[in-house]
Amino acid sequence: MKAIGDIPDSQLLLFKSCMVGQEYPGVETSTCYVFDRLGIDYCINDEQSCCTGIGHYTDIFEGLTTAAIGARNFAVAKRCGYPNITCLCSTCYAVNKEACEVLNTNTEVREKVNSIFREQGLENLVYEKDDMNPRTNFYHAIEILLSKVDKIKEQKKFDFSRVKTASHHACHYYKVKYLDVLGNPENPQLIDNIAAACGAEPVRWYEDRTLTCGMGFSQLHLNKSTSLQVTKTKLDSLQKAGIELMLHMCPNCQIQYDRYQPVIEKEFGVKYDMVHMNIAQFVALSMGAHPYKVCGFQTHSVPLEGFLEKYGII
Amino acid sequence: MIPYVNEYDTPECKTLAETAKKSIRTPASLGLDRCIQCGACTASCPAARFTDYSPRQIVKKVLENDRSVLESEMIWSCFYCYSCNLRCPRNNSPVTIVQVLRQMAINEGIGVEKLAYFLEIGEYLAENGASKVPGAGVKNMERDLGERWIRFKKNLESTRVELGLSSRDIRNTHGEVQAILEATGYFEREKWLKAKIQEKLLHQLLENQCIKRENRSGDFGFESDRRYPGQPAFII
Ligand code: SF4
Ligand code: SF4
Repeated sequence: MKAIGDIPDSQLLLFKSCMVGQEYPGVETSTCYVFDRLGIDYCINDEQSCCTGIGHYTDIFEGLTTAAIGARNFAVAKRCGYPNITCLCSTCYAVNKEACEVLNTNTEVREKVNSIFREQGLENLVYEKDDMNPRTNFYHAIEILLSKVDKIKEQKKFDFSRVKTASHHACHYYKVKYLDVLGNPENPQLIDNIAAACGAEPVRWYEDRTLTCGMGFSQLHLNKSTSLQVTKTKLDSLQKAGIELMLHMCPNCQIQYDRYQPVIEKEFGVKYDMVHMNIAQFVALSMGAHPYKVCGFQTHSVPLEGFLEKYGII
Repeated sequence: MIPYVNEYDTPECKTLAETAKKSIRTPASLGLDRCIQCGACTASCPAARFTDYSPRQIVKKVLENDRSVLESEMIWSCFYCYSCNLRCPRNNSPVTIVQVLRQMAINEGIGVEKLAYFLEIGEYLAENGASKVPGAGVKNMERDLGERWIRFKKNLESTRVELGLSSRDIRNTHGEVQAILEATGYFEREKWLKAKIQEKLLHQLLENQCIKRENRSGDFGFESDRRYPGQPAFII
């Protein structure tokens, strides 16, 4: 189990996420905004590539490719002196952690990956056993936020005390490497505790809290009706619990909830009252970030204007 | 056509269980032999909740070395949500076993057509260092998400600039990602996959002209597979 006291606040490589960059770029800028105000020592490095997650979990990348791309990104992180890989996306987090574990424990794969690097003249990427530690070099950005809740509380600019929030903790954060989660993987509370620090009122338990978002990688595209049924089940539970703001920690979940909520409303003839944000966007907002120039709410599908007006932000 | 087997995901072994255990997709500590068929995986499974899919049955078939599991539509219904992985009391991991089964099926040309949709991801990654929703997915999203999303996509570059980011999320990988994908055999396999998909589509076309296609998913002896017609593929 991870301990909150062990979460680092320096030498963090903020690992760019493809889905954040293309769908919700405000998640990246919000995270930077918050990190800057919390005094976190981090960097972003354009040499870092996609973790392969989208292709890995749609079954097109094999394990060897994923391990090799992982090794390359680890070399990028180490070379720039920011070896603590900190992800915006839960799948990046799981894929990187797993790639590191494979490279450390599977000699055959490690040697194969290194022989590929040597063959291609990429000696600078060669990975030696234990170059990175799967437990102490990999974090999700919300772990950093959770470790700084006191500062987040101090820098609160708005009164969100009437906002009923609910959390969707990303499956690939707490169900893949479930022994390495902050708190109990059967009932993760990271997002709730951060939301509470912003003054909101989190509903700690609702029906289907641990149900997946429904995206399921290829499922949204190949088995769309089941995929949306799963999402609808979750949204129904949230509606029943009277949730006003749903908070997540992964761009894939955000696409599924925010982009597809209007689709589900139309296809199933239902109506939902909640809006969506990534927890980093909510923290940034709470600290006084501009809703469009930092949080990037103009990229959302469920309009946030009503919410922002209600709480005196716009 | 000679099958393209990737030896790390699907090492050649005598039984399905051995391949699953040796594969780098599954954890080294995989508790496959420790499975007690308790069904905690199925009870936690979103796919089982809404379809007749069952991770417990899939694990059973693997332990019985019943290769018909590779032909079942079932293995294509998993969300990769890892709920089974978290809940299994025996440290088994149905989700990673399903990943191995899909790779084995692909080696035999089963279900390859389902990959057609996603193959673009590899080329895009090599070129830009990032991944994206494949073109066919974008078309679907345009249809589903409508005007608001299309407008947002059109403005994405200026929105990113307004946020203080580069106009496009392109990484500077010095061609290294391209070189890696070539050297791991990814592109070679992609070529094989494309040919196989082509061959299959042609075959299907011919078959459609002579006989009405049967629903094959009922032929493989799953307790409930008989009632599991599979989901209609989402039109590309
Ligand atoms: S939860 Fe684990 S032990 Fe129980 S049936 Fe599923 S795989 Fe077997
Ligand atoms: S990972 Fe697959 S088998 Fe496991 S619970 Fe999720 S959908 Fe079911």
